[in-house]
Amino acid sequence: MLMLPELTIIGTAFLLIIVDLFLHEHRKAVLGGIAMAGVLLALGFTIGMMPQSGELFGGRFAVDSVTWWFKLLFLLASLITLAISIDLLDGRIDAKHMALQARGEYYAIMLFSLAGAMYLASARDLVTLYVSLELATIPLYILTAWKRDTLSSESGLKYVILGALASAFLLYGLGLMFGLTGEMNLEAIGRSVTPSPTFWLAAAMVTAGISFKLTLFPFHMWAAEVYQGAPAPVTAYLSVASKAAGLALMFQVFYRMMGHQLMAWAWPLAILAALTMTVGNLAAIVQNNIKRFMAFSAISQAGYLILGFLGNSDEGIPSMLYYMLVYILTNLAAFAVIVWYSNQTGRERIEEYRGLARVNPLVALAMMIALFSLAGIPPLSGFVGKFFLFSIASKAGFHWLVAVAAVNSTISLYYYLRIIRQMYIEPVGQETRALSISPVLAVTLAITTLATGAIGIIPMVYETVSAQTISWFLPFIH
Amino acid sequence: MSDFFLSPVGLQHWLVVSTALFSIGIYGLLTRRNAVGILMAVELLLNSTSLNFVIFNKFATPSAVDGQIMSIFIIAVAAAEVVVGMAIFVTLFKHRKTVDVTSMNLLKN
Repeated sequence: MLMLPELTIIGTAFLLIIVDLFLHEHRKAVLGGIAMAGVLLALGFTIGMMPQSGELFGGRFAVDSVTWWFKLLFLLASLITLAISIDLLDGRIDAKHMALQARGEYYAIMLFSLAGAMYLASARDLVTLYVSLELATIPLYILTAWKRDTLSSESGLKYVILGALASAFLLYGLGLMFGLTGEMNLEAIGRSVTPSPTFWLAAAMVTAGISFKLTLFPFHMWAAEVYQGAPAPVTAYLSVASKAAGLALMFQVFYRMMGHQLMAWAWPLAILAALTMTVGNLAAIVQNNIKRFMAFSAISQAGYLILGFLGNSDEGIPSMLYYMLVYILTNLAAFAVIVWYSNQTGRERIEEYRGLARVNPLVALAMMIALFSLAGIPPLSGFVGKFFLFSIASKAGFHWLVAVAAVNSTISLYYYLRIIRQMYIEPVGQETRALSISPVLAVTLAITTLATGAIGIIPMVYETVSAQTISWFLPFIH
Repeated sequence: MSDFFLSPVGLQHWLVVSTALFSIGIYGLLTRRNAVGILMAVELLLNSTSLNFVIFNKFATPSAVDGQIMSIFIIAVAAAEVVVGMAIFVTLFKHRKTVDVTSMNLLKN
């Protein structure tokens, strides 16, 4: 029964494909509802089973506190993404040639990717880890090219080639780890591996493969191209769920397989973090396309995120999980506005958000709150999340890195304010009129925006994460 | 060095083969202009990793079959990856009449 959330998701995906066959075209709006109901059901199971731990299939599939939190994050990200996809897929849009085809398959493939990410968090040996990672990734290649126009296919081509290269690096590293220990179980590898040149080569290759998923510095360029060409809801999904899957993979590899050597690996990670946030922020300043802009913003956020791996203080794990939760809610609030605006008008350039606050004041307010939270303005949750991560780096003795991160936060405020300036200060364009917003999108936007403010103020959220996961990694590093 | 050539075939020789395969794959990935050629180079990379698992299975844990099972899964997943890649290339070819990766420059700021 421990696998109930995953089985629910897979069952819903197959149900969608079958129901899709028998529905008349104008009744297919029900498919989005079925997909959301399935994810909600799985979310209910997850929350119901949350603190318990256990294992299936001889320990190849196991759950513990951190695993449940990752599953919760994936399900939450998918639920919100499905809600903002419905607008585009059901054709309630004004711009021409924007609607996507084949709704049933779209939802089903998104759910398969979700199932892959959930299995990834539960994987305990190399085979399960690799297969679930690919199950999470390959559907994303398909979704990226879903629009079938020239830009969407081009970004699909780039994603599939670079993604395959990254998984080859990861596999080569995992192969060396297997060769060094002769074990397939992640924790058994972690117990028996000892530092040697081969181990560091394997660690470097594994880190390269993970860096691709998390868009860390030398492996980040795919993000801008893929985010720009993909359909807007897919970009939203990529920016949160794919990143959360990357973090889950990093937890599996860094704590379970390399836990004893993690302290020695802190310096490369610190340099990677500093370069990632700096490059992401500097490149974001000059972007004009909003999806490309969000890609570089997401790259710099990944730089802050991996500060949690530095040192071996207890609070690294809850800080990263909490920041991921904050990031998912905040980024999806911003993407709900981006998806809505591009559906209604077909516009994606930052200057084209001119005067949005005059015609749609509430939507502009939601966008402003989301962007301020991403920049880390108190009392919004983005500030609280960054505060915890910076304090981890500081406790580990990386004071220079905290200084770099603080400077980067200030730079990021400049480019987030560029959008806010267009919305609030620039005059309204000539033909601008108030745009309609569908009820599903309005509710989603309201919930994510309120949550962005609330989870930073209500202490219960961080305390719950912290109480359940605080000493989770002690068995792996001692 | 002469030991390497004179000794019977062992772990080192096999690892040289798989590393050479990996390097050829990287070289092909960086120099090929046709996207299908790049996919073939990626296939070399995945085969090299798959070979690695089989080699380590034979020399590190001769009694178990874990590494061989892993290599079967790698082959299956690589096939899925190629199918998706080729589908995307076909869509792209319908629009552009080419899959030359040096002309994939429409996505820009």
